[in-house]
Amino acid sequence: MKRLPLGPAILVLCLALVSGNVPDAGTDGPRILAIRGARIVPVTSEDIPSGVILVKDGIIVDIGAEVAIPEGVAVVEAPGLTAYPGMIDGFCQLGLSEISGLPQTVDFRETGRVNPQLRTWEALRPESMHIPIARANGITAALIVPSGGLISGQSGLIRLTGRTPGEMLIKGPVAMHVELPSMGRSPFRRREAAAAEPTRHFKELGDLLVRARSYDRRKRIASLNPLLAPPGFDETLEFLGPVIRGELPLWFSAHSDKDIKDVIRFVKKENLKAVLYAVTQGWKCVADIAASGLPVVFSSMTNMPAAWEDGYDALYRTPALLQTAGVKIAFSSQSASAAKDLPWMAAKAAAFGLDRREALKAVTINPAQILGVADRMGSLEKGKAANIVLADGDILEFRTKIRKVFIDGQDQDLRTVYEELLEKHRPKSERTP
Amino acid sequence: MKKIVPFLCALFLFGLSGLRAGDFEPVYALVNCRVVTVSGPVLENGTIIIRDGLIAEVGPADKVAIPEDADVIDAEGLTAYPGLIDSHSRVFLETPREEADSPDASGPETARRGFHPGAQAFKDLKVKASDRDNLHRAGFTTVLVVPGRGIFSGQSVLLNVNGESEEAMVLRNPAALHVNFVTERGVYPSSLMGTMAALRQAFLDVDHYVAFRAAWTASPRRFRRPPYSMFLEALEPYVVGKKPVVFTCENQEDIKRAMRLADEFQLNVFLSGANEAWRVVDLLKTTRPPLFVALSFKPPATSLYAVQGDEFKKKAEREIYPANAALLHEAGIPFALTSYGLSGPAEFVKNVKTAIQSGLPREEAIKSLTLVPARFLGLENVLGSLEKGKIANVILTEGEIFEDGTEVRTVFADGRRFEVEKAPPAAGGTPGAPALTGAWEGKIQSAMGDLEIRLELVQEGGSVSGSVKSEMGTWIIIEGTLSGNLLAFTLQAVIMGQSMDLPFEGRVAGDSIEGSFSTSRGTMDVRLTKSPGC
Amino acid sequence: MKKHTVSAAALLILGTALSVKAQSGDLLIKNGTVLTVTRGVMERADVLIRNGVIRAIGPEVPAPPGIRTVDVSGKYVIPGIIDSHTHIALAGTNEGTEVNAAEVDMADVINAEDPSIFTALSGGVTMVHTMHGSANPIGGQNVVLKLKWGKPSEQMLVPEAFRTLKFALGENPKQSGRAGAGPPRYPQSRMGVNAVIRRELMRARAYMEEWDRYLAKKRSPKSPPDSAPPRRDLRLEALADLLRGKMLARVHAYRADETLEFIGLSREFGFKIACFEHIPEAFKITKELKAAGVGTSVFLDMWAYKIEAAEGIAHSAAVSVKDGLLVSLNSDSGERIRRLFNDAGKALKYGGLTENEALKLITINPAVQLGVDRIVGSLEPGKHGDVAVFNEHPLSAYARCDLTVIEGEIYFDRESYLRDRGEEAAGKRPGDDKGGAR
Repeated sequence: MKRLPLGPAILVLCLALVSGNVPDAGTDGPRILAIRGARIVPVTSEDIPSGVILVKDGIIVDIGAEVAIPEGVAVVEAPGLTAYPGMIDGFCQLGLSEISGLPQTVDFRETGRVNPQLRTWEALRPESMHIPIARANGITAALIVPSGGLISGQSGLIRLTGRTPGEMLIKGPVAMHVELPSMGRSPFRRREAAAAEPTRHFKELGDLLVRARSYDRRKRIASLNPLLAPPGFDETLEFLGPVIRGELPLWFSAHSDKDIKDVIRFVKKENLKAVLYAVTQGWKCVADIAASGLPVVFSSMTNMPAAWEDGYDALYRTPALLQTAGVKIAFSSQSASAAKDLPWMAAKAAAFGLDRREALKAVTINPAQILGVADRMGSLEKGKAANIVLADGDILEFRTKIRKVFIDGQDQDLRTVYEELLEKHRPKSERTP
Repeated sequence: MKKIVPFLCALFLFGLSGLRAGDFEPVYALVNCRVVTVSGPVLENGTIIIRDGLIAEVGPADKVAIPEDADVIDAEGLTAYPGLIDSHSRVFLETPREEADSPDASGPETARRGFHPGAQAFKDLKVKASDRDNLHRAGFTTVLVVPGRGIFSGQSVLLNVNGESEEAMVLRNPAALHVNFVTERGVYPSSLMGTMAALRQAFLDVDHYVAFRAAWTASPRRFRRPPYSMFLEALEPYVVGKKPVVFTCENQEDIKRAMRLADEFQLNVFLSGANEAWRVVDLLKTTRPPLFVALSFKPPATSLYAVQGDEFKKKAEREIYPANAALLHEAGIPFALTSYGLSGPAEFVKNVKTAIQSGLPREEAIKSLTLVPARFLGLENVLGSLEKGKIANVILTEGEIFEDGTEVRTVFADGRRFEVEKAPPAAGGTPGAPALTGAWEGKIQSAMGDLEIRLELVQEGGSVSGSVKSEMGTWIIIEGTLSGNLLAFTLQAVIMGQSMDLPFEGRVAGDSIEGSFSTSRGTMDVRLTKSPGC
Repeated sequence: MKKHTVSAAALLILGTALSVKAQSGDLLIKNGTVLTVTRGVMERADVLIRNGVIRAIGPEVPAPPGIRTVDVSGKYVIPGIIDSHTHIALAGTNEGTEVNAAEVDMADVINAEDPSIFTALSGGVTMVHTMHGSANPIGGQNVVLKLKWGKPSEQMLVPEAFRTLKFALGENPKQSGRAGAGPPRYPQSRMGVNAVIRRELMRARAYMEEWDRYLAKKRSPKSPPDSAPPRRDLRLEALADLLRGKMLARVHAYRADETLEFIGLSREFGFKIACFEHIPEAFKITKELKAAGVGTSVFLDMWAYKIEAAEGIAHSAAVSVKDGLLVSLNSDSGERIRRLFNDAGKALKYGGLTENEALKLITINPAVQLGVDRIVGSLEPGKHGDVAVFNEHPLSAYARCDLTVIEGEIYFDRESYLRDRGEEAAGKRPGDDKGGAR
């Protein structure tokens, strides 16, 4: 097949077309500010019908119905608005993909089967046009995740503001990612009988972990004993080290009921920290997932159920089923261009039985906990980052307008490429708000 | 390759006996026989006299004299039936050559790839004694051999299975034109709607061709002479001359499509396959096309039964589709049963039994294999029942036909006698067989089109490994097993960068493998044949 | 096994939503908030459907005794949603081997058993314009269907709809030729795409002229007795129908420039465009589109998957509406079709449309574009009883479709569905556990 030669000029044109305006939302704002008069939804405690949030150096220093605002502090008046914690996307490709059909602009998927050495935040493009669009919809942090192969690589948590990857990275790595095949169904009776026997993926993974442990042990002993030669450098085993040492959790993208149960068995046997992702047939094994204690992050609510027999609403109703069984759940957009849709994923689950307050938690405090940053974000509490969204209504609703987004106490520019293109192509008098 | 001069491709008058001059065949008297005439009452103790290829006499034992010059066959404990007629078979067909890759393939007979109405099944016949014996073992004495490949796949030939000489077996050549709702790959028409449009255009072109030729013949000096088209010439007898056109229908929509075309162009339409006929009974009641119903019970890929999971699919295959014939019978719609879509005569017999268990009365099953196809084929005068003067196609069975354990003992075709031997052991039953090692070619069929694949398998005892090559790349086969003739494996496919495991389950029968891949969106059927050589 | 068992098994298998036997089209939908789209909003009103047609809408509508009744208190009743660009319910999408496949007709390949039909019903969609794909500059003829799940394909046809012919511009038709081995196929550029369309239309014109000459000769008294008619060419006949106004063009286009060029083509040859499909750059040329009298059928916010979709801003639909264009939303997907109402909801956010303007995008607007606005697209007496019922306002992110009705027959009923699945729907009414983030 003839490949189309894409000259550098065209590439530059592509990037020019797709670059969003990079608003300078860095450190220019006031160090101390107060948000006054909004209804406050801290998420981890009772709503406050009208109150004040006091921010200093990017941290919430006080929050409540009656909070004294010091003299001369900049005040953002917010009557009639609601203050929410900035939302957190549990799995996406923001900054790693611009035009999904154009491989030159896609960087979250490598070739090869075992790639623990890959780090998504090293491919992050801060000027991606999708980032401001998500931010303008109230999302302030996101886990950017690799894909492909069996072990895809390491994910990192970014804030949705900053001029450089360094400015954006909150925490990296957050997790190591494993992908099990998306078509996991097996019709063979003989396979059902052998359900206790793990499939070859787990054998492969198990073998890798065994070797990683040996490698780690040899390295450790050699570092203490100068007479012992350390093992030769092995990239794969090196980067699996944090996993087997319990420092880095393993996320498993698992779809079939069988694979989900196999994951649960596997991580128990290997004594690993883990998170379940997608759980497309999770509705089938709610009790197993609940008993395992593993948290679950859902893939996009725009995915389809694995099979007709699962029911048309399988993916929509699974969040409620798992949450009421005691599982910690979170949502994700699983996208770059649709990252802004995160809140509506939560609302969709609420339409199919998930308590609305739990839905909100699943895009705020829950992902913060699952990603290990609950001490710094995910709710409006003293001591946490001032990631605050001011909205004129329910943040999970379509018709709600986001009026302000603060990340680390800095008021963010909410202009996106949408507004830029509108302005460019339409007379000023007709610009829509 | 035999050449038949085109203008001889007309009806053979039956006066010319199919047998070569000089073949001696005795006169036979079958006595002490239970005789199921089909056209009349059952004779508990009857006599059949076969002379010079015809049934000279048939009747109760006390009414029929045994001729002095007859070889007497004591048929005590046996039942005589008319020889069965299979109206859609691929027996005796040599695997057709691969069509050339270029769109204007194989010469002037072909308008485009897949459009070869002039192809004659007769030319590709290669009679093997073992195939003939398999037919006899199942009770078949007459088969309609249908060319398989392509949209206009060609013209079928009706054979009386009376020996080994192709010409001697011909009852009628050509018998009918066959049309299939399939598509080509990479050339037009590559979609089902393209096939429909191309069929319509072809039929219109024939009408135009004939009208143009007539106008020119009447006034040759008025305009430039019309071009000659072998393709349209081949279609003319069927589209204009209203000779039989058989549409193979894989699902209920195919039936509707066929009847629409038949109506638009006033075709002499027959339907074959039609295993979903029960779903369009009202249409069939009003239009009454002759039906050649297949006994394949797998729900088609487009059917709801095929996409709702394995449980429903198996239930449909076990209970719903086998009741097709019974439902047609209840609706008063006549049909013939065929072996289309099955691996061979043995599977056919098994499936007839299933159809009977699903509610088809045994007498109707017999009729649908004798008198009804004879009538559909326009030969009820000479075939389809045990009556004086008809062609001596008779089978003697031990046990009632289509009962478990019943076997065909003796077959008469055109009055020539064949003793039937027991079947050789089934493929995969003996150790060391079947030999899977080697290359297999065929296609994966899905509702969205076909993918041609080549399997390279290595078999070691019960375990199988290998790869699948297609235009999408090379994929590895893992966890392959063979037990008996059941083949199962998982294919590690990579489609658009995404890796997926596709489980496969199928059966090996000699040179063919048939089975399906399971996906969460339904199944994809696969048909493969062993590649020669290498 | 007898017929009855088979029929029962068939019914069971034919979609778990059909546990209720479909009736003759009589239905009373009581006590809902009725969003008629063309005649305002009625709180707590009934919709009476008889013989498949809406007879009355209002509070306490008198109804014949014994009529099948559904109480939708607290729920919202809207016209059945119309998706005017899909590929579902078809056994095939593209005849991409030729640059002009106008002769193919998607009505020949309807697949009434496509599970996507049920998926669509679960999202309140009652009618679709299901189409040939975009593999070639001139595709095939499309078909409008009502999603009567469980009925035979011929009962799904909508004879009132316009006949439409698919055209495609941009990356898809110029890329398709490159799939597979062999030399690249013409056209490989947008220039080629336009040239091909022009060439085929010119051929169609020549064909029409040839036939006109023949027919004129035949009619003339001096005509000779035997004259050979020209060959009928189904491909060129389809284009001739387009040129004669018997068919409308539905044009897949992305960039503003190729759209304007095609408008030029339509003027050059005098044919009508029903609307442009997708056209993410519509917001740039609303003035020209309005002047040409052509509407659009678009995604709300799906973009950035191809370079030609790189500037497909989410506001485009709303902006087009405000500039006076006729705009409909579509899904072009067997998945997205079930949340078309969510896309309409997003039009409130991206562009600030009013609720009714947003609802029109998926009801009366596509109906007008398809030529079926006299029978569907709004809730008015005299129109078909095609209705969707939602547990919340359909433009809310918390909305869920609970009932889908076509011509007074229920084709999707969430309560029955859940009951069949062995759950108690009663205990899960959203009113009981709203919680609420507000």
